[in-house]
Amino acid sequence: MQDSLWQAVLGEIELTVSRGSFVTWFKNTRLLRHKDNILVIGVQNVFVKQQLERKYNQLIADTLKKNGAEPERIEYKIYSGATLHKKTDDDPIVLESAQSGARTANRPSPTTLTHTYRQGLNERYTFENFVVGSGNELAYAACQAIASNPGTKYNPLFVYGGVGIGKTHLIQAVGNAIASNNPGAHVVYISTEQFVQEFLDAIRYKKNTDFAGYYRSADVLIVDDVQIIAGKEKTQEEFFHTFNALHQANKQIIISSDRPPKDIPTLEERLRSRFAWGMSIDMQTPDFETRCAIVQTKAHAHSIDLPQPVVEFLANLIQTNIRELEGALNQLLAFCEMRELDPDISIAIGLLGSAKNRPKHINPKQIVERTAKYFHIPLDEIVGPKRDKDIVVPRQIAMHILRSELHLSFPKIARELGRKDHTTAIHSVEKIDKEMALDADIRLAISEIRAHLYA
Amino acid sequence: MKLQVTQENLSRALNTVARIATTRGTLPILSNVLLKVIDNRLSISATNLDIAMTNFIGSKVSKEGAITVPARLMQDFVSSLPSDIISLELDNNKLKISSGKYQSVINGISAEDFPIMPAITEGKNWVIPAPILKKGLQQVIIAASSDEARPVLTGVYLHTFNNSLYAVATDSYRLAEKNLINTKETIDLLIPCSAMQDLLRIIGDFDGDIEVTSDDQQVLFRVGEIELITRLIEGKYPDYRKLIPEKFAVTATLPHSELLNITKVSSLFARESAGSITINVDDKDQQINIHSIASQLGENTAAAEAKVTGDGNITLNSRYLLDALHIIGSENVSLSFNGKLEPSVLRESGKTTDYTHIIMPLKS
Repeated sequence: MQDSLWQAVLGEIELTVSRGSFVTWFKNTRLLRHKDNILVIGVQNVFVKQQLERKYNQLIADTLKKNGAEPERIEYKIYSGATLHKKTDDDPIVLESAQSGARTANRPSPTTLTHTYRQGLNERYTFENFVVGSGNELAYAACQAIASNPGTKYNPLFVYGGVGIGKTHLIQAVGNAIASNNPGAHVVYISTEQFVQEFLDAIRYKKNTDFAGYYRSADVLIVDDVQIIAGKEKTQEEFFHTFNALHQANKQIIISSDRPPKDIPTLEERLRSRFAWGMSIDMQTPDFETRCAIVQTKAHAHSIDLPQPVVEFLANLIQTNIRELEGALNQLLAFCEMRELDPDISIAIGLLGSAKNRPKHINPKQIVERTAKYFHIPLDEIVGPKRDKDIVVPRQIAMHILRSELHLSFPKIARELGRKDHTTAIHSVEKIDKEMALDADIRLAISEIRAHLYA
Repeated sequence: MKLQVTQENLSRALNTVARIATTRGTLPILSNVLLKVIDNRLSISATNLDIAMTNFIGSKVSKEGAITVPARLMQDFVSSLPSDIISLELDNNKLKISSGKYQSVINGISAEDFPIMPAITEGKNWVIPAPILKKGLQQVIIAASSDEARPVLTGVYLHTFNNSLYAVATDSYRLAEKNLINTKETIDLLIPCSAMQDLLRIIGDFDGDIEVTSDDQQVLFRVGEIELITRLIEGKYPDYRKLIPEKFAVTATLPHSELLNITKVSSLFARESAGSITINVDDKDQQINIHSIASQLGENTAAAEAKVTGDGNITLNSRYLLDALHIIGSENVSLSFNGKLEPSVLRESGKTTDYTHIIMPLKS
């Protein structure tokens, strides 16, 4: 209730001040207390505190008034929760040495004055809350094997698949499992973007040895979204050396990407072959049953039991992206919590729209154009009479996307691509449906075209 | 705003302050410097919202006022001017700069939009001679961590203990502690390492006293005409004192240059094993030797005479040892340790024993 007041105030202020000012001064503030006509606002540092106190106090007071709150006094307090860092007050410094006996490490490991390293890992991601289905059971099994025997099986592990299907969850779960099984292990999780950034900083501040040493001292290195490394030659070289050093020492390496190594453009050959060295696993879009299980698991995490029709509705509504699925679920749960309602199917439909809710800003023409552009074929050929293979497949893909994104009728789809017969469209959609399960290239093409459409 | 300053003064102040201005933030005005005339002085300020710096310079003021201008442009322009008197005049957010035959107008942004520079109204005051603080910071900063996951370790901890002021930093693999001065104050400040690096840069050759003012959120250092204010890191610094061993089974004392030399030589053979070198201390021969192996290249043993008590060996990261030796200034050093997995301690030996550097061993 207090938060909603502050949300409303922030929403209004966002419209009055410039974007830079809002992000810098207001974004991370919180309402800490609103009692006895005194309102306490939490801010993340002294700079923000002074700025709000001296410059924006009047604006805040006016906006509060508009939202029905007229405190006698507004106080600003530095609030450590506003920063991303977790509190480390109770973090005792202890002598601990890295365990190296169990594994076949031939390099000495550093001993540390402090606690176990779990650099970058989010403890929320565990095997326990990962829902296993047909699309990801192989990846899950491989990750479990790695967690119990890091460095010896499947090294490196390369996991790839589309956006929001749980790659990050799974690879972080491995890291967390290893860190808790081997309390001295130095587990490093890093997104490739961060790796690139740190590498650039290392060059700029001439601290290259620090940088290299840090990653090479890892017992488990987990690298997320490695496709970003494409085209960055020096970073690739550094990564190559890190990779070799760790692989030599039998340290576990886990890599994720949105496409298989061979499809990452401008990736150096020696890296490409190394990525494919251990085991590459394709994570696929979860099937309907898995999506249902995911919705149930997530709802249980909020201690809410969803009725089956709602679960099925959500699982049908969003089919490809778990992150969006979770977003839709959260939206529903938040709505019900605020209104103190029990979630049921009518609320779900009212809030999230019907399953066939087509996106308004995309028209069939755009889809056909995008597809043609993606495959570098002229528009008049994709809708023309030619039946060469390199034109037919894109045409079929375009039909498939028209069907899955816009839910057009088959006769309409056929017309959009200059076909007379609607059975052509039916055949195409079915064919691509089948091939998607078998062919990673087609999956990739569809997900990229789709990403372009919604970008 | 209307005033005259010398090119040397203005350029020096801009060079000091402009590096704080950042172009990476979300707020475009943070890439500007604030020029402000009050009480017949020109102040030049910049901030990146972690630290703020202000440099006051003497000038001949005809009219008060304030404006912000792009830091890099202003700095580069003023430093290319000949050494002469520079006139600054503000006309409607345009700053006219003229010097001899050079004339330019820089479009500024109103000073109203610049973040309010933090000030400490009530706080604790103390002073410390600049050379002492400079030497102390140089000797501990290297041990600070750059790992933002544990913010407290990214700071330098300035605190008093038994009537002495200490500076400490650690990244959990090594720790450096310097006893700075005796004082009756109670000081407890955890300051971001990056701010301390900026402070070192400001101190330069300044040899007067640095005035320090702090409250529980920020600390201000006044170095002559320059003020640096930084936020403090929140959190409790680890109780590191209990980690420093009181007694040692093995101690070797030898000239600094000899230990540095044999460490350097051994580190050449330690590149592929994470810098791992094994140090053997021999009581009978009164000798210290360092052994390192590179499986492909070969191996190395380098020895030096030393004053030794006790026998033993320990494996250290040669880079940490070299780092420590580079910042130790004394003629003789002593290296002490107990077990293979317990901290090793490097100290300056001789009259001054106010510096302690701990290195954790490698487990081989």
